[in-house]
Amino acid sequence: MSGAANEILKIKTSRFGELDIQSSAVIDILAGLIGFPQYHKFVMIEYTAPFSWLQSVESPELAFVIVNAAEFGDNYTFELPKGDRDLDITPDDEVAIFNIVSIRPNAGDSTVNLKAPVIVNLRNRKARQVILDDQRFPTRMPLWVDKGEEASEEKK
Amino acid sequence: MGAFQSGTQGKGIRSMLVLTRRPGQSVYIGDDVKVTLVEIKGNQVRIGIDAPSSVRIFREEIYLQILEENRSAAALSASADIPAEMRGMTKFADRKGEGIAKFTPDSFTVGKKRPPKRRDDEGGHE
Repeated sequence: MSGAANEILKIKTSRFGELDIQSSAVIDILAGLIGFPQYHKFVMIEYTAPFSWLQSVESPELAFVIVNAAEFGDNYTFELPKGDRDLDITPDDEVAIFNIVSIRPNAGDSTVNLKAPVIVNLRNRKARQVILDDQRFPTRMPLWVDKGEEASEEKK
Repeated sequence: MGAFQSGTQGKGIRSMLVLTRRPGQSVYIGDDVKVTLVEIKGNQVRIGIDAPSSVRIFREEIYLQILEENRSAAALSASADIPAEMRGMTKFADRKGEGIAKFTPDSFTVGKKRPPKRRDDEGGHE
């Protein structure tokens, strides 16, 4: 399945020009991201930590800003999808989880979607965007605490 | 998935097949999706869906919300590079577990272990 030789692929992107990527770096988002069912192959391109780009291999213009779910700490926990044969997560697998960021015109208003993380099985490079049935996780969580909020928390 | 999309996706309204079922009765959609009317209680109907795991099942309002959010994320990131001020961290900021999150058999946690949250009323694949 994943035994294919690791070759260098040239992909075109509207933001980064032509990129050489290793075929082993490509992830296969099963059924595509919700709303983009036609695009399955993506690569993650590191940007300024903790942000990365999720770039489509198939469409030069299609890219998302993503953030590692680990950034959200102890409050962000959920069950992995069970019985997903295509994702095929076993207890020995390493799993990466990331969330999609919406960059707003005013960067300070940018939000992250905690409701629908993307789960990647790093062994077979299969991924899926799941929807979490949990009221605590909004689709638009502000990325930054504003200063007023921080101050009031300190007073407690 | 087809059934969700009837009439909601903007591209002209497909005619919808409407069937009458009693509690306990089912319909098949294709060969491997079975939808059962489980219970009727007041103005609520509980349905059970038996489908392969490759078939994604969402409540419509949540599905549409995510679809909208993904599309807007793509559109918004198309116009802007990541702004320089996007450093520092997030509301839940707790910068341990840099890199790759580890999976434990039953639950996933990116920080300390917590009791897994149950998906209670999602009757889908029981």
